[in-house]
Amino acid sequence: MKRLIKINCALLLGILFSCKVEHASPPNEAVKNISGSWTITDATRNGTDLTSGFNFSQFRIVFSDSTYTIDSLVPFVVSHNGKWAFNDPQYPFSIIFTQTDSPSVSTPFLFPVVNGVRNIVLTFSPGCPSNTYQYTLQKAN
Amino acid sequence: MKKLRLPTGRRAWNWVWKIAATVIIGIVIGCSLTINSVTQPASVTGGTVLPITLNATIVTNNPQTSALVIGVLVPTVWNASANTTMTFTSSITSGPQPMTLIPAGTPSPNGGGVGWQTDLMNTIGHAGNLIPEYEWIAFQSNTQYAVNSNTTVSVTVSINITVPTNNVYFKMAYVIAESSDGLHSTDYGDPSTDYYGTFFPAPIRVNGTGTLLDFVNPQLSVVVPGFSTDNDIITIPFNSTVAANPLSAASSVYLCATGYTSAGDSIQVCQQTSKTQLQPLGAGNWQLDIWPRGFFGLSPGQSLDSIEYFFTDVNGANKVGYGAGTSPFSYTFGCQ
Repeated sequence: MKRLIKINCALLLGILFSCKVEHASPPNEAVKNISGSWTITDATRNGTDLTSGFNFSQFRIVFSDSTYTIDSLVPFVVSHNGKWAFNDPQYPFSIIFTQTDSPSVSTPFLFPVVNGVRNIVLTFSPGCPSNTYQYTLQKAN
Repeated sequence: MKKLRLPTGRRAWNWVWKIAATVIIGIVIGCSLTINSVTQPASVTGGTVLPITLNATIVTNNPQTSALVIGVLVPTVWNASANTTMTFTSSITSGPQPMTLIPAGTPSPNGGGVGWQTDLMNTIGHAGNLIPEYEWIAFQSNTQYAVNSNTTVSVTVSINITVPTNNVYFKMAYVIAESSDGLHSTDYGDPSTDYYGTFFPAPIRVNGTGTLLDFVNPQLSVVVPGFSTDNDIITIPFNSTVAANPLSAASSVYLCATGYTSAGDSIQVCQQTSKTQLQPLGAGNWQLDIWPRGFFGLSPGQSLDSIEYFFTDVNGANKVGYGAGTSPFSYTFGCQ
């Protein structure tokens, strides 16, 4: 009987010490990659659609690691080439453009996937502050 | 004389039940919010306070605890979200009750996730204002109020809007609602219109400075937005049906414009090409969106103070200006 108790105790201890605390850590959010050439697919001014009435087809912005080049044939956040950065590379809520010899411009940034296609959505006011534009950009084919 | 025979027994209970049910249904349905009157001046001087008094009646047929919601349609140039105060008094409260602006995007009840402002625009509309530079603002009482069933509540809302100095002629509109049902409730089988009330007073004129923003009378051409720089995209419309003119029956319409720079130079773009061709919108309406900096080919150091423009046919022979005459339309760049 004593022997059986000892065996049971040993088994119980074995079970208890065989467990180890698992330190779960959240997965790392990927750094947002916007490298490439982007075009404007949708544009609004104060909520009114401009896409059908204004020719945005010539516009291109090309992002590389830290710089961008632009064909600014439309009102945009910036009008010359320069550098860009996110406020937070993993969880960006704004993108900061720095034109050569100009102060930085920060604008709200969204990076949604719509119908399986990645979009960049920028909101800004290139003219009067009361006029708000929202451009949706998609990667050029 | 025929004797009236009253039903007895089971038959009597049957009738009692039917009558009672009818009375109960009659009590439950029929909730209503009504704006009885709106007192607002016919005109106000720009830069002063526009005082408005709204009288309303709320009839409840069911106990409810809700906040009062008031919506006002205003021109965006007023920036009314930042320049409006609102309070109310009522027959079930004591003294002025504070109200606060509902932040943009705050979902309206039963509104499918859209904000109060958007829901008001989609549901109530823009009161027939012709220039699409209007918005709804909505205020909500800071407190929710418990109201018993079968109660009639008289409400007087005091609205003060400090209007800017711009010349404006506008059709305002008002909505009364409550925070539980919003604009789409169909509780108890009532139509959603039973859960809010509207009022559309006569247009109001703000006597100020600058070009008159006339939202009421159809015009041949009013540039949108009303305030812009040469680095905005502006919409130049042409409503050929407003007045008899040489382009009333034109199959295509073109812009003939002159830009005036801050240095005193003038740049003319007067051609009949795709660059200047207005798009047909139907029913005699045309419009062209331009980015003035690109349209006039400004160099980085140049800026535009104003533009003057005509509309022409494909040959450039027939020209239409302000008031269908020979003087050009004009538009001055500037921000609020």
